[in-house]
Amino acid sequence: MNSQSASAGVAAAQNAPRAWSIEKRQRFWGWVFLSPWIVGFTLFTAFPIAASLLFSFMDFKIGEEMHFIGLKNWQTLVTDPITLQSLGVTIKFGLIALPVSILFPLALAAMLNSKHVVGKPILRVLFYMPYMVPAISGIFIWQSFLNGQTGWLNRLLRLIGFVDPPNWLFDSAWIHSAMVLIGLWGVGNAMLTMLASMQGVPTELYEAADVDGAGPFTKFRKITFPMISPVILYNLVLTTIGLMQYFVVPFVLSSTTRSNPDTNFINLHLYRTAFQFFDMGYAAALAWFLFAIGLLLTIGIFATSRRWVYYSGGDL
Amino acid sequence: MSKNVVRVMVVGLILALVLGALPIAAQDKIVVTWFVGLGTGTQPEQQAIQDQVAADFNASQNEIELVISYAGNNQTAPDVLSTLIAAQTPPDIVGPVGVTGRNQFAGQWLDIQPLVDATGYDLTQFSDALIESYREGDALVGLPFAVYPGLIYYNADLFDEAGLNYPPTEFGAPYIMPDGTEMPWDFNTVAEIAKILTVDASGNDATMEGFDPSNIVQFGFDHQWDTIRSDFSTFGGAAIVNEDGQVVLPEYWREHARWMWNAIWVDHFMPSATYINSDLFQPHAFASGNIAMTRVMLWYTCCLGDLDANWDLAVIPSYEGNTYAPIDLDTFHIHKDSANPEAAFTVLQYLTGEGALPLLTAYGAYAGRPELQEAGIQAKAEIYPSVNNWSVVAPSIDYAPIPHHESWYPGFAKGQQRFSDFAAVLRGDAGADLDIDAEFDKLQADLQAIVDEASGS
Repeated sequence: MNSQSASAGVAAAQNAPRAWSIEKRQRFWGWVFLSPWIVGFTLFTAFPIAASLLFSFMDFKIGEEMHFIGLKNWQTLVTDPITLQSLGVTIKFGLIALPVSILFPLALAAMLNSKHVVGKPILRVLFYMPYMVPAISGIFIWQSFLNGQTGWLNRLLRLIGFVDPPNWLFDSAWIHSAMVLIGLWGVGNAMLTMLASMQGVPTELYEAADVDGAGPFTKFRKITFPMISPVILYNLVLTTIGLMQYFVVPFVLSSTTRSNPDTNFINLHLYRTAFQFFDMGYAAALAWFLFAIGLLLTIGIFATSRRWVYYSGGDL
Repeated sequence: MSKNVVRVMVVGLILALVLGALPIAAQDKIVVTWFVGLGTGTQPEQQAIQDQVAADFNASQNEIELVISYAGNNQTAPDVLSTLIAAQTPPDIVGPVGVTGRNQFAGQWLDIQPLVDATGYDLTQFSDALIESYREGDALVGLPFAVYPGLIYYNADLFDEAGLNYPPTEFGAPYIMPDGTEMPWDFNTVAEIAKILTVDASGNDATMEGFDPSNIVQFGFDHQWDTIRSDFSTFGGAAIVNEDGQVVLPEYWREHARWMWNAIWVDHFMPSATYINSDLFQPHAFASGNIAMTRVMLWYTCCLGDLDANWDLAVIPSYEGNTYAPIDLDTFHIHKDSANPEAAFTVLQYLTGEGALPLLTAYGAYAGRPELQEAGIQAKAEIYPSVNNWSVVAPSIDYAPIPHHESWYPGFAKGQQRFSDFAAVLRGDAGADLDIDAEFDKLQADLQAIVDEASGS
């Protein structure tokens, strides 16, 4: 190669587009493969979230012109008696449901973790099975089971001597207990996570406690509970958020049984406002209000978790 | 991306645009869109018949192309229609839909009175009471298509067992008590005989000393599957809001609320919510064979195939000498922003006229047009041989209360929910200790608040 042709080759190489480095190429293709999700998230999640926040400041009724009304929906929210009543219903129910939905699966898990219980695999399956039943079918079954007149529960109660058993679904004093009872059918998942966590507790800890003469209750309180506390925290957060989203049971009960106003949960009120009354602006405000409550409760739980949740790797 | 790929894509895009535009260019017909799903009509077998009706219409003339658009079901249909309206692409025709569905979109329907006048469409074939039900204020928003008159369904076997005569089949005819006494066929008489027809597990009826209301196995009467506004309207129709924007529920509605409360909690011949949802009423109240009389519309003939009893029909009882038989109505409406109202009205006439019979059959409905009614009854009579009194159906149309029991008022959806809550309290466990007058006053006050909110006052 002569010097002329060599310098021409260098010039051509300098003018050609630069080849991408491996890192750049990987980054590019990474974005390409992520882009369907990013586009989907932006269009179908982020944009509706932002739009709903905007709608909460609008008078937005389906079929009518939408216009800006500032904080009016938010003002209505704190004065609307139905909102306050439904929030009260949700809180009242939560005070019963929250402890039960943590303690009951915890008790079941502790029982299934005990070496004194026989037939554990069968019991595990039995406790988990209702979780797999579709919610609507389960509610219909419970509705029949809890009927004050012909339900099996009251038949059993009458058999064992209760002359006047509760009218579970139509008595304000009992309806929330009945709904908690219905909810117990879905504890299989929480039970399983707690059981898995219990089975992961190092046996040396129990052996050491035995040497120290600790009883079963002390072992549970001092070893099991702290060791599984992250899983309890996880279930507590999920249950609290689930409480804000509690909808299917009251919706089915109120649409099929002409049930009482005690089933008017905040999420049902939100649904009716949006899809029955078509008041989308106010419904958006309600949705954000629910989100704010859920967020505050979650922050509160995490704030207290430092005191009762044990992380073997240190604080998170 | 190589240049060839880009070229292919550009050519493909152009081709798609050209091909997409071709049918529009070739089509000179006015396109009328028909939205189905707000009421019935989304079942696959119904869709096939509706498609055929549309095809027959399209084949019958050269000016209009009828295109059907189906919603998935009637749960999602309001959202779909809302979106179409919000996007300013409303369908021309919506239906079949009942009055409540129509009121969900109040203010969206075209007043077809000018089109009726312009085309000379004959409204005199229908009763005034029926036509009134299709009015929103002064505007006529639909034509009679499917009507479902209110009736009394009675279980003849249970009447025979109690030694009672059957309810009358003619308006104004008396009820004959077992001792031969003639009583007016009104709600007081219903209460009297319903008590005899209400029986507990020990065989005592509700007039006897030892009757146990906590263990009833057979009830005398129910207002079944209906709104409480409809129940109230058996004592007379009423507008919810007067001309001054005030909610003044009539005293005869309060009277009916008291009648129902007594029926459920004092005389026990009407079931409470607990009984309604118990195994006693499976698959549902009258079809269980455990209820002697029920007031419900003609559409309930949909669901009595498994009733192993001789049952029949009678006229609705009167209140203070007048009879009011709440009626359900399904029809088609033209959207107010339809680009082609005249063409849409042509289609509307076809759907309620020439094309009505297959549609009525598909929906299991009874015709509003008198000349089509006999065919509908024949079809039902073949299914239910125990029914002798089909003759009560047609005259009951003329006893529809005015205004209609689902008529619109400001804040309609919220107001209807409030009525529903009233019914829930009345029938629920707390109903036994209810001060029915105070609850009725509360209903009126709450409705006033809803109306005020909706009216912006």
